Amino acid sequence: MYFFIILAVLVSGGIWIGANLLFNQLRNNFTRFRFLAWGLLGFIGGVLLSGNRLTVGSTSDGGALLRIAAWAWLPLCISLVTGTIGALLALVTSPRTRLLIAGVGLGVTGGIAGSLIIDSSQPNLSIPSLVIATIIGGAIGVGIQTLRKRGPSDGALLGATAGWLIGAWAIPDLGNGSVAWSAIALGVPAAAIGVRSALGAIPDETERNNRDQRSRSVIFLGPALLFIFAALVVPTVRTLYLSLLDRKSESFVWLDNYISIFKDPKALNLSEWQAIFGSRLFWAALICFVAFIILAIRARQQTGHLVELGSASSGPLIAGVVFLAFAVFTALRGTLINNLWWVLAVTLLSTSLGLAIAVLADGVRLERVAKSVIFMPMAISLVGASVVWRFMYIARDSSKSQTGVINALWVGLGRLSTGSGLPTLIFGVVVLAILLALLIVAVRALASGNPTRSVVPLITAGLLGWFAWRYWGITGDGVGGFRFNGSGQQVAAPIYFVQEPPFNNFWLMVVLIWIQTGFAMVILSAAIKAVPTELLEAARVDGATTSQIFWKVTLPQISTTIGVVVTTLIVLVMKVFDIVKVMTNGTLGTEVLANNMYREAFSNFNTGVGAALAGLIFFSVLPVMFINIRRMQREG
Amino acid sequence: MSTTMNSRRGPIDRIYGLLRSIPVGVLWLIVIVWSVPSVSLFLNSWRSRDAQRNSGWWTIKPGDLTIDNYDYIFNASAAGTIGNSLINSMAIAIPATIIPIAIATFAAYGFAWIDFKGRKTLFIATVSLLAIPLQVALIPLLQTYVNGAHLTLPFIDKTVTIIPNLGLVNTSTAIWLTHTGFALPFAIFLLHNYISSLPKDVFEAARIDGADHFTIFWRLVLPLSVPVLAAFAIFQFLWTWNDFLIANTMAGTNPDARPTTIFVATLAGDFGTNEHLLPAAAFVQAFVPLVVFFAMQRYFVRGLLAGSVKG
Repeated sequence: MYFFIILAVLVSGGIWIGANLLFNQLRNNFTRFRFLAWGLLGFIGGVLLSGNRLTVGSTSDGGALLRIAAWAWLPLCISLVTGTIGALLALVTSPRTRLLIAGVGLGVTGGIAGSLIIDSSQPNLSIPSLVIATIIGGAIGVGIQTLRKRGPSDGALLGATAGWLIGAWAIPDLGNGSVAWSAIALGVPAAAIGVRSALGAIPDETERNNRDQRSRSVIFLGPALLFIFAALVVPTVRTLYLSLLDRKSESFVWLDNYISIFKDPKALNLSEWQAIFGSRLFWAALICFVAFIILAIRARQQTGHLVELGSASSGPLIAGVVFLAFAVFTALRGTLINNLWWVLAVTLLSTSLGLAIAVLADGVRLERVAKSVIFMPMAISLVGASVVWRFMYIARDSSKSQTGVINALWVGLGRLSTGSGLPTLIFGVVVLAILLALLIVAVRALASGNPTRSVVPLITAGLLGWFAWRYWGITGDGVGGFRFNGSGQQVAAPIYFVQEPPFNNFWLMVVLIWIQTGFAMVILSAAIKAVPTELLEAARVDGATTSQIFWKVTLPQISTTIGVVVTTLIVLVMKVFDIVKVMTNGTLGTEVLANNMYREAFSNFNTGVGAALAGLIFFSVLPVMFINIRRMQREG
Repeated sequence: MSTTMNSRRGPIDRIYGLLRSIPVGVLWLIVIVWSVPSVSLFLNSWRSRDAQRNSGWWTIKPGDLTIDNYDYIFNASAAGTIGNSLINSMAIAIPATIIPIAIATFAAYGFAWIDFKGRKTLFIATVSLLAIPLQVALIPLLQTYVNGAHLTLPFIDKTVTIIPNLGLVNTSTAIWLTHTGFALPFAIFLLHNYISSLPKDVFEAARIDGADHFTIFWRLVLPLSVPVLAAFAIFQFLWTWNDFLIANTMAGTNPDARPTTIFVATLAGDFGTNEHLLPAAAFVQAFVPLVVFFAMQRYFVRGLLAGSVKG
């Protein structure tokens, strides 16, 4: 097997180089080129005959060498004749001699080859179908030439030749004909091609240059276009076609596959929409929106805008939208909702985390080391990353010690929070000290008339305060992974990250965020470093603070790059497959489109629905890719 | 700003100064968090089955280390040895890197420097195919590998075989052929960007000296394009080495043809029984890309920056 594949690859390479060397002769030595090219064409024609075991002698048995010789003699003879005719055409200028050489020469060669065809393959010619096919072929040739705004005679001749070949060889049954008929069936088109070649003049220098360019465009582009056509264009069209057929691709069901996807409650289940309003996320979103309205009204009085990049009001707005989206995605379930959730969460968190790290790391000592560590997951396969996180997410029941890092920390925090020893006290005091420091900073910022600088400390202080409130058990029993069992004893309660819907979806998304943050960071970091320093200097001279410079100067400068990262991530996340396949295989409410497509097409053998799901992925990434390609064309 | 603060140091200013170092602290905290998953996998791979089951990796002691897991996956794994799948990964990734590079460089040169009618339209059409997601082509491609491609002509009702059944299903050849087709639009785009920006004078001078396209391509373009070829090669190598979807579709059921990603995924699939082997297997799978990553990070980043459009 490997031998043949390596051979095929080497032969392909040889053909490519050979084609180049052949067409080098087009400019260097036209007679030699004609001899080689026509000889090659003749050889191919001969191989078509004897390679298919159509001619006398080509069917003989015996040793390998004998068999090769048995079918190779005819192509070799034909190629010698056609090569000579080609070379003569390059030398002789008199039109009548040219016609004689090419028309008669090729016609006779074709006739002899035709008469050598074995009995069982001789066509049983029927004159009407031959005439009709020839006329139709000629008409098509004329039509094409007219469309190309050229003279019709050339097209008529070539079209009629092709029509003759089809009418003589493809339509009738093979096996009941005569030697004479098959000689005519092959000789006439050969003569026609000869006449057509003889009518043309010997190309001059410019014409040969043009032919050189044209032939090189085919040689250089041909392999790529062939591969793209066979591996991309045809399969895509065929998938879209299959998506309109039933599960065994036997009859048309038109859009039924698509409709059934949208009607399937596993794909789209909106029945729990009331749960949106009951979720804590919804109330968090509501609080954020209230905060936004208060801050926005204040901002309007000061700057005239409700919300600006980096203004105090933009934070709660974004947070509110995210909370609301998460509230919706956890209440409404199904494959399509999951995909939307993936797109939103991974794109947003990867991009913002990547941006944050790029900004934080900019100019820091050991910047390259820090960035390498963040970036490294990009080199690991998605399968490998899923395995990595599987060990992070391990949850063991309360009687055993936790072996996953996150649950170990979570359960440990629970013990710390509910304990009464010295560690509990120290940890709690440290939290309170940090809280106090944050509050001091915030108050200082407020006192100095700089409210935007107090936003980050205040939010952090708020979250930390809530944590301390729970930690000290002011309401509830404490914070962390514990619960009380039936007899009132405190036992460990790990989080079942992978098993508990709907948030297991989010924990799978974390895996992709872990990988893609490095990608966002690298690209955004390059963009940040490319911001002109004069611009930053000018802003600094005008008295802008670091955060103002970031929001008002750097961010607008890198907005195109952010667009690149976001669109790339959207397309990538829309197709997410490996993580879901390895971690849950779509069970436990974590199904996504790509995994669903894989299962339908290759496990359930429901080609129709599988193709429709693939089509759905295609149509949903199409607009984003369209934007991307437009941008690429502008840049390239 | 810091000098004004130092000049009037109060306790509050000192706290403020401390808080100013928080961003760097946050950065290194993120770095630590980011490396914990990989570190825990790596350390777990050196621990015995019982140790992995009963305690976390942070309890590791130098005396506990064992190479049993690696020994097992290389020599006696129930799912075939990982050595075989490493060879398969090579048999997929190497042709799937070299062949698209060759074909795409031809095409990129053709699009950049050979004059012919409809060049621009054809180029835009080719690059637009970046929009096609992998999933869309999988079903027909698999059908082709299983049955070949046949076309039944209308009216004369004869079936023409376009591609015979070559028995490619469940072979690594099917995998790298698919990769080759899918790599081309992006490869052409990336290489064309570079090759078309080479100085025009060089080509004109060579043409006047009588050099043909083949010579120009071989003697001029290839040597000049080494950086971009390296960038694409690394990108494509990692992509094909880490691929799971195409490999699983085209050869998922054949243990003799599957690459390491499928080996790891299969190991992860049989819950419980072989879980202690997973860290070692995952680390072996990631070893080659990590070496490539650390050795050639610069090229990798360049390929990635340009590769952000791959479909």
